Amino acid sequence: MGCSSSLPADRNSGRLGALNSEVSGSNDAKNLRVKLVLLGDSGVGKSCIVLRFVRGQFDPTSKVTIGASFLSQTIALQDSTTVKFEIWDTAGQERYAALAPLYYRGAAVAVVVYDITSSESFDKAQYWVKELQKHGSPNMVMTLVGNKADLLEKREVSVEDGMEYAEKNGMFFIETSAKTADNINQLFEEIAKRLPRPTPS
Amino acid sequence: MDTADIFLGLHDFLERTRQPSAADIVKSIKSFIVGFSNDAPDPERGSAAVQNFFKNMEATIRCHPLWAGCSEEELESAGEGLEKYVMTKLYTRVFAQSSDDIKTDEQLYEKMALVQQFVQPENLDIKPTFHNETSCLLAQKELQKINMCKAPRDKLVCILNCCKVINNLLLNAAIASEENPPGADEFLPVLIYVTIKANPPQLHSNLMYIQRYRGQSRLVAEVAYFFTNMLSAESFISSIDAKALSMNEKEFEKNMESAKALLSGLSTDFDGVNVQNGENEAVILSTEQEKPRCWPQNASEVPAMPAKPPLTQTKDEKAPIIIDKESIYKVPSLLDLENKGASKLLEEDQVCRIIQEYPYLFAHAGDLTINEVEDLLVNYKQLVFKYICLAKGLDPPAISSHSDSRKQVLDHVEAGKEPNYTRKMERDVPEIFIKQTDDNHSPFEVSFFSSSSQGEVVLPETVG
Repeated sequence: MGCSSSLPADRNSGRLGALNSEVSGSNDAKNLRVKLVLLGDSGVGKSCIVLRFVRGQFDPTSKVTIGASFLSQTIALQDSTTVKFEIWDTAGQERYAALAPLYYRGAAVAVVVYDITSSESFDKAQYWVKELQKHGSPNMVMTLVGNKADLLEKREVSVEDGMEYAEKNGMFFIETSAKTADNINQLFEEIAKRLPRPTPS
Repeated sequence: MDTADIFLGLHDFLERTRQPSAADIVKSIKSFIVGFSNDAPDPERGSAAVQNFFKNMEATIRCHPLWAGCSEEELESAGEGLEKYVMTKLYTRVFAQSSDDIKTDEQLYEKMALVQQFVQPENLDIKPTFHNETSCLLAQKELQKINMCKAPRDKLVCILNCCKVINNLLLNAAIASEENPPGADEFLPVLIYVTIKANPPQLHSNLMYIQRYRGQSRLVAEVAYFFTNMLSAESFISSIDAKALSMNEKEFEKNMESAKALLSGLSTDFDGVNVQNGENEAVILSTEQEKPRCWPQNASEVPAMPAKPPLTQTKDEKAPIIIDKESIYKVPSLLDLENKGASKLLEEDQVCRIIQEYPYLFAHAGDLTINEVEDLLVNYKQLVFKYICLAKGLDPPAISSHSDSRKQVLDHVEAGKEPNYTRKMERDVPEIFIKQTDDNHSPFEVSFFSSSSQGEVVLPETVG
């Protein structure tokens, strides 16, 4: 129920296209390319957050060629650096949990999403945080996101609980609503700021 | 870039390397291929050597006078051409060569052959909204093309096309049902379902081949994402158990057992054959002394595979199969009879009589009155009984059919839907069995090389 009308605008454009155009844009200090993986129970709105982010700042050059489970979006920061997010969505159902390492391997950022109207999804989020702490790269920027913040009357997880858990685990925390677009851009901007910058060689 | 572009890329690459000034490049490529072929095969070392060679050659090309003033795209295309050329040359040397890969291929193939008999969309968390058998079939066909090409990129494109079909299916379904746009929660389950149903032979080897020999600089971003999904599907499938499909242990084992029975031909039960929506066919071949055996043929599932690896062979150690052509009696299955009847019905104009016998056949729901429901129910029950009796009456098999009438049936049935087993069973199958017993190399190879195809490029014998 996150983002009823969001569909990638150019879903049918492009062919398998530009398989390789990414190569040239390798990382330098001013233009970062980062892999971001989304984790969280199914139905918490992972893909809606991304679609909102990508659609909200529609970039006609972004190549959404195959589907919505992978999207990329570039943002410009105030210090004139650009960050290109390559966003990898994962299947949140329990039966696919064991496959997650294939996706978060090599990711610079992990965004763990739960639904504030489901304490179960918050438990699941904590499971992912532990998993990442155990098996993820130690330099990974980890973020905890409470989505569906527009559904206040159904809230099951308090802001304090989310914040406290995130702080304890050294994560950035934010509540978002993919439906109203609340805090979506802030989420990604905040992540971009926290990225370790490559040291110029 | 689509396939045509890459084809041009290769073409352009070969054209350029024909020029005298390309002599150094040609020499490097030739000596690499020769050197590689002389080394003992080792996937890890081979992969590193190839990747390193690509990297160096691309750097060389970048600075080479022949490519001076070329755009980034043209250089990219040269890189693709190089990769395609080299890997096509090395293909037989590196594809599915390690015994580990071959073993994994066989296990995976067998697992999918079993699981595909009973897995349902809901076992994988596919919502009914997002299930569409036709689109799934299309996606399967894309994936099955993976064995028709040799270059890593071309194989990768088969996977990406499969993913694309699935994504289109999901997007259309989401729009139609006003659901949220689909993400990985929807995508991965369908990909797994499609993979199981497609069961492309040597899937593991294909994935390893792409991983090892696709230029690393090109296996990035979206392509890397969808490739990872495929790896992930493989990983899920290879460890499928009761829990992974939300079945209880007993149910899962029962399903696996009956799937095994079906595949190994131990089942003599006609009804048991009909595990999934009537696509499976069984033909009973019986020798005079032996008990009837049956081979499932599932042509619609594996269109690209003329010689399906016979799982039967490994299963039937106890009873070596001796098939005496003289003593084979084919018994028509229910579906055969149905098709035969259907074709007869088409020949003669019996529609009027049918209407008299079954008054509701052409009725619309809106035409029915409450009073007619009882009548309809009686009619239905009679039909069901008749059907069951006829089905039971078919067992034990005793009829020998005339191949003429069977041929007629085949001719009338829509191509592709009816497994073309009749003639296959008479000749091919025994041959395959014989072949497989003295050649334990790879059951897939025959069909593999026999499939000449799109995407395959005839390369000149030498560069330059």
